[in-house]
Amino acid sequence: MRIEKCYFCSGPVYPGHGVMFVRNDCKTFRFCKSKCHKNFKKKRNPRKTRWTKAFRKSSGKELTVDNALEFEKRRNTPVKYNREMWEKTVEAMKRVEEIKQKRQARFIMNRLKKGKQLEKEEDIHEVKKNIHLIKAPHAGKAKQLEEKMVQKLKEDVEMGEEDV
Amino acid sequence: KCFCSFYLVFSLQEFIDITLSKTQRKTPTVVHKHYQIHRIRHFYMRKVKFTQQNYHDRLTQILTDFPKLDDIHPFYADLMNVLYDKDHYKLALGQINIAKNLIDNVAKDYVRLMKYGDSLYRCKQLKRAALGRMCTILKRQKSSLEYLEQVRQHLSRLPSIDPNTRTLLLCGYPNVGKSSFINKVTRADVDVQPYAFTTKSLFVGHMDYRYLRWQVVDTPGILDHPLEERNTIEMQAITALAHLRAAVLYVMDSSEQCGHTLQEQLMLFNSIRPLFANKPLIVVANKCDVKKISELSEENQKIFADLSADGIPVIETSTLTEEGVMQVKTEACDQLLAHRVNNKMKGKKVHDVLNRLHLAMPMKRDEKARPAFIPEGALLRRKAMEVDAPKRKLEKDLEMELGDDYILDLQKYWDLMNEDEKHDRIPEVWEGHNIADYIDPSIMKKLEDLEKEEELKEAAGEYDSDEESEDEEMQEIRVLAKQIREKKYLMVVESKEKDVHGPRMPRTATKVERKKLEKEMGNLGLDMDNKDDSHYAQQARRSRSVTKKRKREASAPPTSKTRSQSASRPPRDQSGLRDAKMVKKTKKMMKNSQKGMNREARKGEADRHIFDLKPKHLLAGKRKSGTTDRR
Repeated sequence: MRIEKCYFCSGPVYPGHGVMFVRNDCKTFRFCKSKCHKNFKKKRNPRKTRWTKAFRKSSGKELTVDNALEFEKRRNTPVKYNREMWEKTVEAMKRVEEIKQKRQARFIMNRLKKGKQLEKEEDIHEVKKNIHLIKAPHAGKAKQLEEKMVQKLKEDVEMGEEDV
Repeated sequence: KCFCSFYLVFSLQEFIDITLSKTQRKTPTVVHKHYQIHRIRHFYMRKVKFTQQNYHDRLTQILTDFPKLDDIHPFYADLMNVLYDKDHYKLALGQINIAKNLIDNVAKDYVRLMKYGDSLYRCKQLKRAALGRMCTILKRQKSSLEYLEQVRQHLSRLPSIDPNTRTLLLCGYPNVGKSSFINKVTRADVDVQPYAFTTKSLFVGHMDYRYLRWQVVDTPGILDHPLEERNTIEMQAITALAHLRAAVLYVMDSSEQCGHTLQEQLMLFNSIRPLFANKPLIVVANKCDVKKISELSEENQKIFADLSADGIPVIETSTLTEEGVMQVKTEACDQLLAHRVNNKMKGKKVHDVLNRLHLAMPMKRDEKARPAFIPEGALLRRKAMEVDAPKRKLEKDLEMELGDDYILDLQKYWDLMNEDEKHDRIPEVWEGHNIADYIDPSIMKKLEDLEKEEELKEAAGEYDSDEESEDEEMQEIRVLAKQIREKKYLMVVESKEKDVHGPRMPRTATKVERKKLEKEMGNLGLDMDNKDDSHYAQQARRSRSVTKKRKREASAPPTSKTRSQSASRPPRDQSGLRDAKMVKKTKKMMKNSQKGMNREARKGEADRHIFDLKPKHLLAGKRKSGTTDRR
């Protein structure tokens, strides 16, 4: 029993699910659901269909080159069963999976950091441009001006007095 | 030599029916009195000839299908004689031949007569007579046809014995164990029953020995009486003995369970001895599980001793315990092979082949002995083939033993490093990943490297969450930006809700109430108390109260334009325009908006006048390739 990969979306095809198409040149294509199958029949390129893993990897939205990804590889020579080897492998699998998840998450986070920067800039721009919608530019200034004028008058009066 | 492929022989009634109905269907049926006479004659002649042709064809086919006794192998000829009586057979075929010729003659005669028929009625009667005579001729052959059909059916069921290939022939009294022997040695499944004459005809089985195919022929038992008194069943056995060049296995029953004493069996043996000339012979002492030769009486033992002294190998067997069966097989096959090879050597054809054969032996280059290398396993297997080795316990035997409890467990044959892991349930999948994809002898090493890498990365701080604490200013800005966006959204929603019918007036066209203005500005943070002397309040007080339209006196039209009016209201093509540039632009806009209508030669939106109701280019001319909405 094997869990195969869907040709179109690279998702898992569990036994008893999906469709397999065999072409005249003996190449087999497995699909996990009819959505993938129908897209294939429409001759759509999975590398250009945005929701597939193939697109995400080819356009750099997901981690592609990494040592943790080298563990899972289809090997053509079967190995004789050996209990301790199998146990060790299962343990290793669990640990590798953890590390893989961490690294993939980190990759995506790094990609999204730029967005935060842009957000910040946008906020600043917005505030600069449209602050007048919340607060009038010279909201508190009228009082200040008055006070200034009063002070100036006082000074003038003082000057005047001095002159005299 | 396949007797089963020929066409069936019809019974008389069927034969006649089929032919006559065929004549009716396949020849034209309509003829009238007023046709020309040659046409009528031709019509009826055709029918006669057609019927004759059909009979002729069918009968010829029967004659060619049935084998001529002189042309086939004497074994089959004799067998057929025994089974079907040569004379009767030949007679039947002869009768058919005669019938065929008679039919041909009848047809010829009547066709000749038809040439002189002068009316439709005459010709028709002639045709009736002809067909009637042909059918009568055939009616006399009824019994022959039946006999031939039975012969054909029996022939098709005869066993296909190749008289020229290697054959082992089993003979002896009834019930001695010939059929059991053939069942043991080949894949044949012959009936084995306690009564005599269970086997009533010849049976063939095939076996392999030394990479060659061997036939084993089982015969019905033979009783001891002279040739003339033998019945059909026994005669078959005798025929086989006489004609097949085979190794003969004379089976005797040492326990006398077949109902005949050893003396009687010996007598039979001696009487058929002449038939064994030139054939390798083996005497098989069967049923030795009941009684061995050594347990027999003196005189009986002497019989066997005599036979061995004569040079005939005597082998004890038991088809029940399978003792000695293999031995008999190998003995017989070897003897037959040797015999055949000898015969071939004596013949003339051998020299052609021998002249062309040459066995090349390489010259010895040193004294080192280089014998042929035969691996141990092959040697063992060879020995097992020759000797009846005890078979190892098969899965089938295990299944029989356990019955309902039997479970097919193929995992026990696995070749693993540790024997106790054979019955483990191997995991194949974990959380959507195939375990088989991860199996790698160096996986632990790889994992170590990965862990080291991971540690380095963590040390380098790659995994630290970088939520830099933003300074207060930034936080304030964020809050303000959010508020601005909210306010914008609300403004848009408000304006959509206004639901303005008619043309959208600019902001300055509508009056703004003082209260509203002060409220909004107050929300924006300005101080709006005591604004009675502000310019907008003063302006509002100064603006003219609603002026009534001045009533014009109907009799006296205005003589001159009041300057004040013209001064207070600018002409429409100047109102709202600041400078010459703006004037120019508005003029241009005006001209542009009129372009569309001008192009369509329309005076306005309501102008639907069509200048040319029947344009020539749409209505004249042929419609060639094109649609019907336009031409």
